[in-house]
Amino acid sequence: MISKKTAFFFLLPALVLIFIFLIFPAFWTLYYSLTDYSLLGASTEFIGVQNFINLFTSARFWNATILSFEFVFFSAIIGQAGVGLLLAMLFHRKSGWLKKLVRNLAVASWLIPAVVVAYAWAAFLDKEYGLLNQIIGIFGFTGIDWLNEVPMGSIIIFNIWRGAAFSMLLFTSALKTIPPSHFETADVVGASLWDKIKDIVLPQLKTFIGSDLALITLWTFNLFTPFLLTGGGPGRQTEILPIYTYFKAFKYMEFGLGAAISAVILFINLTLALVYLNYLKAE
Amino acid sequence: MKKYLVVLLSALLGIGLMASMAMAQDVPTLEIIANGVEGGKNAQEIAYYKEFLVPEFEKKMAEQGQEVNVEVIETGVPDERFKSRIVMDMKAGRGADIIGFDQFWLSEFVEAGLLKPLQYFDSNWDKWEGWDQYYTGIKNMMKFKGNMYGLMKGSDVRMIYYNKQLFREAGIDKWWAWQPDSWQELLDTARKLKEELPDVTPLQLNAGSKMGEATTMQGFYMAHLGTGGRIYDQGLGKWVGKSQDLLDTLELYKTIYVDENLGDADMQVAAKAREKTFEAFQNEEIAMLVEGTWFWTDVIDPDAAWGIRTRDAQIGWAAMPAKNPGEGINGQDFVSISGGTGWVPSPATDHPQLTWELLKFIGSYEGKMAYMDYKPGAVTARKDVAQNSPVTSENFFLGTVGPALAPVSTYRPGLEEYPKVSVEVQLLTEEVVTGTAPKKAMENYSKELAKIVGEDKVANKPLEE
Repeated sequence: MISKKTAFFFLLPALVLIFIFLIFPAFWTLYYSLTDYSLLGASTEFIGVQNFINLFTSARFWNATILSFEFVFFSAIIGQAGVGLLLAMLFHRKSGWLKKLVRNLAVASWLIPAVVVAYAWAAFLDKEYGLLNQIIGIFGFTGIDWLNEVPMGSIIIFNIWRGAAFSMLLFTSALKTIPPSHFETADVVGASLWDKIKDIVLPQLKTFIGSDLALITLWTFNLFTPFLLTGGGPGRQTEILPIYTYFKAFKYMEFGLGAAISAVILFINLTLALVYLNYLKAE
Repeated sequence: MKKYLVVLLSALLGIGLMASMAMAQDVPTLEIIANGVEGGKNAQEIAYYKEFLVPEFEKKMAEQGQEVNVEVIETGVPDERFKSRIVMDMKAGRGADIIGFDQFWLSEFVEAGLLKPLQYFDSNWDKWEGWDQYYTGIKNMMKFKGNMYGLMKGSDVRMIYYNKQLFREAGIDKWWAWQPDSWQELLDTARKLKEELPDVTPLQLNAGSKMGEATTMQGFYMAHLGTGGRIYDQGLGKWVGKSQDLLDTLELYKTIYVDENLGDADMQVAAKAREKTFEAFQNEEIAMLVEGTWFWTDVIDPDAAWGIRTRDAQIGWAAMPAKNPGEGINGQDFVSISGGTGWVPSPATDHPQLTWELLKFIGSYEGKMAYMDYKPGAVTARKDVAQNSPVTSENFFLGTVGPALAPVSTYRPGLEEYPKVSVEVQLLTEEVVTGTAPKKAMENYSKELAKIVGEDKVANKPLEE
């Protein structure tokens, strides 16, 4: 039996690393959010909550916040979790090449590095040479400039495609915990797919769905990859919070304000995490 | 015997090594950084450094008994990125000895303590005979609070470029020498183009933050000066938040992009907006574009990235008219605005004296004559170069534009807050071209302005009813 002291000793290196690289920078960021630190500022001064006042009175900040919630709701909660669950259900208790193909493609889309995926999508959606418009052209329609005309829709679809695999894998394992007899009984009485989801899957997978939503919500909230597709534009139509932070902190080099936005994101993330955790606890 | 030979050889090798190390220490290296890359962005500038400046300066110094190496650091990135790179270099006390520098960064850099005046590099800096040859106005673009910080390459001016071929097809009067006298005439021409050539975008006046400073200079200022307005009121010593002139400027944007679709707003706010605009102009999809002389010399030059082979015959230019004759800034009929780039020595240099020598060589008659050959600019900094360079006399465009527009041109306010205000101006135009009502957008701008410069430094002027 290892004593608590020894255990702590073994954990110490990890704790030190976590402190140096995660906790300390987080507090450092909170400190910076109270200053006017900028790349070209002659001196850095403590300005209290002025950055936050500036943020909360800025139309651009609210635009970014609303877009972020839209993006998370449609691409993660509805999209990734929904598509993941649907795929998992369709192939539950089935085998064959189609299942393997779809699973492998879904996992591949999740494994490829984000930058590669983003460029592949930019090529796919290109107005003149993109595959999507070529396909549409075969059917006699004229393609549109997707990233410019439906920018939010494009990055939402992109993120669903990108992330559905994770939810699918999680739900595939989760479905195995449901006794097969439940599905067999359902088949005997002729229940539809929707009936099965509603009456068997959802009630029994509540906690799995909760964990899945908690993870993908936080990931999506912090996702920066859409920048590689739209650059936050056109105009400010896809300027979600991470992109807005990037502009303030690294394009205009206002680190203090950038830190303040990061602090707000941190606060939103913590709130969401707490909500999910409470839900899971209650279950 | 063999033993001796080995010892002798090692000794020789040792001496040789030490000698070469000593030599390497003796020859100082100077670095020059520019936002350009061979065969890409600002390729002519890099070619000038590599083919002329480096060998010639090394030769000249060798003749004076001073060995020196000059190295060129190439970048080729968007200007904001270049700026953050040099700031980080300078804050760390490192980086190139001479920096290619946009003049409008000066006040910000000096206030941040990143630059030192020329006397830091040489106490006799003002005795340099080259100063007499510099046009005072251009020279002083590198002056801030009484100190001189570098040398200007030259200056530029802004105007409307138009495609004569498209004008001819649309049946515009005097398509070969078109010149509008008011916004009304400019808009009427655009309307006619739209009617006759529905596939062509009649007029692009830069807007939006994707265009960066090109929006403020080539778009907003060119319209705003035509109303007699300025973003900084020198007399009051305040930034202008709301004014009738500003509203009129925004109404022009609204007419062009929202009400009548005379311009393509999507192109303005798209990612890579500027590159897309250049490409569209090259492909004859834009009839009129407000741009600077850099556009002519570096973008649509037949050999440049978006080159137009028949540029000289096909592309014409017109001065930007005031809203109505006489309503422009200083009561002018036509307006323009100038900026420019130059070189500053970095205080981080290990060789202040040599850096100053290199700077002087760049700014010398022979240096500037060679520069003009590689990179013809509309308004050069030196009088003797302007008089003697074959480029100015041979080149009809450069020979006429500079003299015609320099007298009506003006400058950006040389204040520390300017770059931040400029970003807000870009966002202001972006809001209007994407559909926000001008009054509402101006309201937002005024608020954001107060956050940057302080409530007490903002003037909100009464509007006409």
